[in-house]
Amino acid sequence: MVLGARGFVAAAVIARLSRSGVSVLGLPAADLDLTAPDAGAQLAALLLPDDVLVFVSALTPDRGRDIATLMKNLQMGQQVSAALAARPCAHVVYLGTDAVYPDAATLVRESTCAEPGSFHGTMHVVRERMLIEALRVTATPLTRLRPSLLYGAADTHNGYGPNRFARAAVAGTPIALFGGGEEQRDHVAVGDVAAIVERVIAHRSTGVLNIATGRSMSFRALADLARDAVGGTVEITPSPRANPVTHRHFDITNLISAFPDFRFTDPREGVTAMVRELATAR
Amino acid sequence: MIGFGGLSHLGLVSAVAAASKGFEVVGYDEQPALVAELSAGRLPVHEPGLPDLVSEHAARLRFAADPSALAGCDVVFVAIDVPTDAADRSDLTPVSRLVGQVAAVVAPGTSIVVLSQVHPGFTRSLRPGAEARGARLYYQVETLIFGRAVHQAVNPERFMVGCADPADTLAPALAAFLGAFGCPVLPMRYESAELCKISINMFLVSQVVTTNMLAEICEGIGAEWREIAPALRLDRRIGPHAYLGAGLGVGGGNLQRDMATIRMLAAAHGADAALVDTWASLSQYRRDWALRTVYREVLARVQAPVLAVWGLSYKEDTQSTRNSPSVHLLTALSGIDVRAYDPAAVLPDGALPHVHRVQSALDACRGGDALLIMTPWREFGEASLAAVANALRGRSVIDPFGVLDPAAVHAAGLTHYRLGTGPAPSC
Repeated sequence: MVLGARGFVAAAVIARLSRSGVSVLGLPAADLDLTAPDAGAQLAALLLPDDVLVFVSALTPDRGRDIATLMKNLQMGQQVSAALAARPCAHVVYLGTDAVYPDAATLVRESTCAEPGSFHGTMHVVRERMLIEALRVTATPLTRLRPSLLYGAADTHNGYGPNRFARAAVAGTPIALFGGGEEQRDHVAVGDVAAIVERVIAHRSTGVLNIATGRSMSFRALADLARDAVGGTVEITPSPRANPVTHRHFDITNLISAFPDFRFTDPREGVTAMVRELATAR
Repeated sequence: MIGFGGLSHLGLVSAVAAASKGFEVVGYDEQPALVAELSAGRLPVHEPGLPDLVSEHAARLRFAADPSALAGCDVVFVAIDVPTDAADRSDLTPVSRLVGQVAAVVAPGTSIVVLSQVHPGFTRSLRPGAEARGARLYYQVETLIFGRAVHQAVNPERFMVGCADPADTLAPALAAFLGAFGCPVLPMRYESAELCKISINMFLVSQVVTTNMLAEICEGIGAEWREIAPALRLDRRIGPHAYLGAGLGVGGGNLQRDMATIRMLAAAHGADAALVDTWASLSQYRRDWALRTVYREVLARVQAPVLAVWGLSYKEDTQSTRNSPSVHLLTALSGIDVRAYDPAAVLPDGALPHVHRVQSALDACRGGDALLIMTPWREFGEASLAAVANALRGRSVIDPFGVLDPAAVHAAGLTHYRLGTGPAPSC
């Protein structure tokens, strides 16, 4: 059962599991509004003891960065936790974010203190804690995944990075950088997240795991990849720098230890595929 | 006569060193099988130089499984191994028991010297029991270094002796014994000596971790740590013997145990030991350097990879695999086909089913997509790289300690990955 089924990540997870022959029930917000007061009871009525619940639903920062959005997200966590306490299932996989870590953290690992600098990160930390407490009683296995920045053609947020750069490249408009695009970040193809979720379910893994490739690259390098993918025909435009350059890298030792044969999508291949998909969709 | 209770690696090497200084030595251990092996001249530990030293001084060495054999000793050292739990916390019960056993059999006035590593306050807690039997109780800082233990035991830099009151003179027999080694003897109170041992280890940890942190920076910017380290050795504030070799974190059990002890002491006394937490984190991070490297260069690229691993022990010239980076690596590589070779260390049967133990370094390489040299045994540096290149299927040689000559590896058509070495700048 996948909550938030129309979302960017959930859709990729559903597609991946379905391709592998897994029976998947995707519940979009239209069918189950997790902010509703009776959402927990509705969810509990649907849960079966051998279900795996993948909890991806959240109002993302583009839907609001304020307290009201925070509270709605926490309500969703409360409802899901109540449902799981009432009707235990076999395994819960929670999709959070690396925003739980401090903005200043430059080398992030799972043991990095979760001290978020945003309501979005705070929301995920609190929802993780809700699930830990709800599932402790029933001893239900819980996996908390914290992905880094995600990209893919189906992304709806058009965030700064591969998603926005690829769209600009396909549209033939300049790729605008903040400053010179020097900041290094770890970008993950959404299909890789789905593949890791599938492995986590197959292994019934528990604990916390960051999802990152371990190879950060600058926004400028990503812009170059997007430009190359359309034959070098778009302009990349730097802008005066408003903020100091910061970087984020991931120590992915735990991910390697968990899945030593997992292969991440190469950034060039990933960006090129996204550009191709966006161009086809136009 | 000098006695040793507990024929651990430390106890055995110390006993042989005592015999080498002309003392009659008796070694007691409660394990009859171990005593029988030693009495037959068979050594349970791998330690360079030890077999020769034992042979040379066998006439003054005697082993027994009965503690009454210690009755005639003037000084008895207690050198039993201290077990630790998964969190590296010591269980000192065996030390207490052995000190009690020794005190029960020796003559009044005998010096009992605890060599086993104990936490501050422990020796003083044993004093009433020992003195009730007429023994004088001391604690002596041991400085065993696996692989260099014989040289260290025969030629110590100094003795640090914990006493009930350092103003009192040492027992004459103990003073005579220590004097035979011709090095400074530093008496201090029990607690100081116990913390002195831990202090030495904390400084070593700080060197190891600092070196490894800087080595990683070298890898990032294209510097060469081996060019930097000699300059640091010539700095008097750092010194020629500083731990400046880039490695895979803090190995072995003793340093880990002392970090756990400092954490415990800091928590109990309200001191700030956050530095130790940082050391532990950095150490663990660098321990996994080979895993990240082999993932990046091989596992993330090759279908159904096969890996060759040379070395299982936590360092060369020892069979100990405690906290061995190699064992950590192999554990993380669960499900990957590995062929492993080590000249001395062995894995427990069935411990890592994906690891196939082979009988030679070259055999390990056959069909491998990469070679990882996880312990810097001398013999690995003498391997024929042409034969290695021929046996391997892939070209990657992950050699954290730089056992192999970079130019020779390159000449053999292999790609060399070492700690503390980044890609050379292009212009």
